[in-house]
Amino acid sequence: MRAKLRVKRFSTEVEASANTYQEYEVDVPEHFTVLDSLIRVREDVDPSLALRCSCRASICGSCAMRVNDRARLACKTRLTSVAEEGDTVTIEPMGNQRVVKDLVVDLQLFWGKVRAVEPFLLPNGPEPEEEYIAPNEAMLNLLTPMGCIMCGACVSDCTSLEVDKNFLGPAALAKSYRFVADPRDGAQATRLSNLNESGGVWDCTRCNMCVEVCPKGVAPMERIMELREGVMDQGMTNTPGARHVNSFAKSVARAGWLDETMLAVESWGKFNLPKLIAEIPLGIRVLRRGKMPLPGILHHKHKGADAIGRIFKRLEGKQARKF
Amino acid sequence: MADHDVLVVGAGLAGMRAAIAAHRAGANVAMMSKVHPVRSHSNAAQGGINAALRGTDDSVDSHIYDTVKGSDYLGDQDAIELMCNEAPGEIINLEHMGVIFNRDEEGRLGTRAFGGASYARTFFVADITGQAILHVMYEQILKSGVRSYEEWFATDLIIEDNVVRGVVAMEMLTGKLHTITAKSVILATGGVGRAFEPSTNALICTGDGMALAYRAGATLLDMEMVQYHPTTLAGNGVLLTEAARGEGAYLINSQGERFMEKYAPKMKELASRDVVSRSEATEIEEGRGVNGCVLLDLRHLGEKLILTKLKYIHEVAYDFAGVDMVKEPVPIRPGQHYIMGGIKTDVATRAWDETGAGRWTGPKGLFAAGETACVSVHGGNRLGANSLLETVVFGKIAGEAATEYAKGVGEFSVSGAWQSDREAAIKAVMDRPQNGERTAAIRLELGQIMNQHLAVFRNEEGMQAALAKVKELKQRYATLPIVHKGSVYNTDLIFHTELGYMLDVAETICAGGLLRKESRGAHFRKDMPERDDENWMKHTTAVRGEDGPTMGTLEVVKTRWEPQKRVY
Amino acid sequence: MKYAFYPGCVSRGGTPELYTSTMAIAGKLGIELEEIVGAACTGAGVLQEKGQKLGDVLNARTFALAERMGLTTILNICSTCQGVMAQANKRLLDDPDYLAEVNEELKHEGLEYTGRVIIKHLAWVIVEEVGLETLKGLVRNPLADLKVAPFYGCYILRPSDALGFGDNPGRENYLERIIETCSAEPVNFPGRTKCCGFPIMLINERNSMTMVGNHTTSAKEHGADCMVTPCPLCHLNLDGQQPKAQAQRGAKIGMPVLHLPQLVGLAMGLSPKELGMNQHVVSTRGVEAKASVRV
Repeated sequence: MRAKLRVKRFSTEVEASANTYQEYEVDVPEHFTVLDSLIRVREDVDPSLALRCSCRASICGSCAMRVNDRARLACKTRLTSVAEEGDTVTIEPMGNQRVVKDLVVDLQLFWGKVRAVEPFLLPNGPEPEEEYIAPNEAMLNLLTPMGCIMCGACVSDCTSLEVDKNFLGPAALAKSYRFVADPRDGAQATRLSNLNESGGVWDCTRCNMCVEVCPKGVAPMERIMELREGVMDQGMTNTPGARHVNSFAKSVARAGWLDETMLAVESWGKFNLPKLIAEIPLGIRVLRRGKMPLPGILHHKHKGADAIGRIFKRLEGKQARKF
Repeated sequence: MADHDVLVVGAGLAGMRAAIAAHRAGANVAMMSKVHPVRSHSNAAQGGINAALRGTDDSVDSHIYDTVKGSDYLGDQDAIELMCNEAPGEIINLEHMGVIFNRDEEGRLGTRAFGGASYARTFFVADITGQAILHVMYEQILKSGVRSYEEWFATDLIIEDNVVRGVVAMEMLTGKLHTITAKSVILATGGVGRAFEPSTNALICTGDGMALAYRAGATLLDMEMVQYHPTTLAGNGVLLTEAARGEGAYLINSQGERFMEKYAPKMKELASRDVVSRSEATEIEEGRGVNGCVLLDLRHLGEKLILTKLKYIHEVAYDFAGVDMVKEPVPIRPGQHYIMGGIKTDVATRAWDETGAGRWTGPKGLFAAGETACVSVHGGNRLGANSLLETVVFGKIAGEAATEYAKGVGEFSVSGAWQSDREAAIKAVMDRPQNGERTAAIRLELGQIMNQHLAVFRNEEGMQAALAKVKELKQRYATLPIVHKGSVYNTDLIFHTELGYMLDVAETICAGGLLRKESRGAHFRKDMPERDDENWMKHTTAVRGEDGPTMGTLEVVKTRWEPQKRVY
Repeated sequence: MKYAFYPGCVSRGGTPELYTSTMAIAGKLGIELEEIVGAACTGAGVLQEKGQKLGDVLNARTFALAERMGLTTILNICSTCQGVMAQANKRLLDDPDYLAEVNEELKHEGLEYTGRVIIKHLAWVIVEEVGLETLKGLVRNPLADLKVAPFYGCYILRPSDALGFGDNPGRENYLERIIETCSAEPVNFPGRTKCCGFPIMLINERNSMTMVGNHTTSAKEHGADCMVTPCPLCHLNLDGQQPKAQAQRGAKIGMPVLHLPQLVGLAMGLSPKELGMNQHVVSTRGVEAKASVRV
């Protein structure tokens, strides 16, 4: 088949090369991946095209890039899965990171965040003579985050990192989970406490982008949610994030559904007067438009409320996560 | 003052293990790699790592014997004994570092069966053992704070008066050359699979360390010993782990027969890799193949086992061949996978003969570990899951030995000519006129001829043809131009340099094959099908000469095991 | 077609106009809605942070209630509800043991979920069941001059495997197709599939407002007259918080944001008032003018 690739080029050595796209066409077999096709371009057409790649088997993590607006491993993406015969495939470097040349980005940001979570086992006390005794289920649970190949796809497309470079981001948080959930690690409390800070677990928007783009099924956001649970289980509940979750649960448990206004008040902190006063204009604005019911006691119960309350009673706090 | 006591070139498992050992021994150590360490090819090791750790009837002696037998008696028995004795401690060490090895019901380390092994002694993390260990090793590097030159490409070993003084290397993100001086250098750059097409190896496996050492006067050992893995995927040749057979998968031919029953009645699919690959090739040659392949059948293992213990190869077969191995057998064939040969070292990983007896040549201060080295523990055929073991055992020894050696090295300075000569050489290549030749095309011709004549079956005529072709390609390489002239991340220049490395190494592979007048391990000559212990219980050696390698031999070290007929 | 209707909390709280506009178009499209009385909040992903099973039991209860009504398809008008329900349903259907475990909990309430419920957002129902041809036939007021930037948000797109994109890959473009059927012009812009910032509005307001500012501004820069969204939470942020985002940016944006049924309703010739457009924070007058409807 004829592969049509539209590749974003960038070079500090060629003037005015930023944001230019170059079109390449090469004949390739039907089973070719995006990476196979790019390698063919590099070998046969344009050796100046820069990209990283190595294993060609989705294990080394070198070739993450944006293919048709989404971060993917080029080696794991068949051409036919992203384009019908004759369609052009758009290939760009990963997002949220500085481009060095063409499809090669600077990985400083990525590794800086990984380094920030103390990404190594901090054993509790002296090492045993033989191996640590650990249940196989605990090891199998770690297989998911350990499957991370540090390709950067999740960081590329993270919508929270896009607006705030202070956020640790999905890869580093998933890495952190790998230690928090490791029964051999002795620093869970410190780790969770650090993750409770600004830029940590609460800055994830739960947009699922990292889950969608991760080529290895690590589902970083799911790991972040488990970390949030862990943070709250440790009794660290005095953050807007934790208050938000607890207020939400309280509202649903009481009335069967959500009390948005009370949720806001409780998330900011009931005694956060400056914030509450600052929000008064907005409150008036939405009330005037007939939106946002009055908070608290005026939020009426609905018909299923009692049944829902009973389910809460039976289940809430019963599955506290054991790390 | 030297920049470092110890410089490790290559940051896969052997390199990182060496760096950690040197750091723990108190050295000022740095690593250098042309890729980020977690991109290294150790990732691709899937099945596991061997050790006779404890338990039932298994013993270190049994592990040693299996390895000696697997090597077709070409492995040096002192080195094999050392490796197998160190194995249990290294497994525990890896576990303490944080590797999430599979456990048994009691929460202790669990094992699986592997080829050529008398007992199930392979420790594993699903089918991503290499990746799981590599990433943990990098965690330890981050913890140690060891300096890491990432995406730096070594172009020269600096040798003055036959003593190692450091390297010249290119920082790929800028294209700048640097001289990094070091009292000792450990080469841990992996294999040379890209000299074969197809190969299970990553694009980075271009024999850099072997070529750098060879050009610097070191000895390459048993280079003809190239392993073809029995189960590489049809199409793009990606590896499917031996663990599939370890967990019970069958190999079947076009008639649905489990043909390994004929070739290895006792061990069947779990015979040594050379034996299984030859059997497959025979089936295919005799017309019982399926489109040039045979079939790996996992269906009876069940979905649950496949999706937990063999999850990655399930993904690979689906992504790259469109086959769901839960439901259908997977077309596979033997494919180039590993080289048993490499830089000749002693058991302390030294590339020179410390005894002063001059049994082989090599520059002082140069060490090597992992696939790039040949101690030799694999001899004519490596057992599955012994390669990860080799990297950590000899990586550790290298780090410690290089630190110890560096203590005895005084101050020195290095001539600036090393770097300026390399700059001039690069400029000369950049200035070459375009002549229609392309790096990729020559690389492909090399890979194809090697895969044709230095594969599972060999003969005199074919190897001569391959050697002649390699010599022709070397001539063409001498005028091969570069198209892209930029400095930043110029992979055109890197590939050009790598091709030079591969051509040098390939020449020694052909020459080694021609020298060895027998069949042993992976080196099976149809024109000389018998093993000849009388004349060939010997290693082949290759040292760079005026016009190609100067070949020689070296005695095999025997301790307790006499050669026997090899039956599986 | 009759559906088990799940209006969600927000259409009865923060965005009543979504409820109003849904009711205004449903009948015309031949969609019969029977509300699931007493259904719980889906948890919106937030409750799931306290424990996934709690959320799954609450949603399984809702599914069981729908089954008891004799209806097989639940219709959502909130992407977040759609996404959370779909994920819960996938977990329940993928693992029979888990479904049994959850049913143990429902037994206390005299309910059982048999696993037969299909969950669809209004946008999917319009394209897959009503059909765009039918919609086309109902368009009385083609929105020919209107440029509309579709804002999908997260939950109606991701994770795509739980949302059935394998069988229905077209779902990633339904908003564009509905916009086109209304004779308006879809505007492609970078924020199209990103997060609106709502989930962190109360946690990290600065980031949330940056998102609102980025998306509304980029829609404007790409020539959109308005945005349309299938999610009331996106609406709460993109519309309700736009003044705050403007203040943070220090620049006027003024990007009207419509709920999906409002856009469809306008094209059907319904009045802005019937569609509750007077309840928006950002004025929709410009849209109404371009749509040349009676104000």
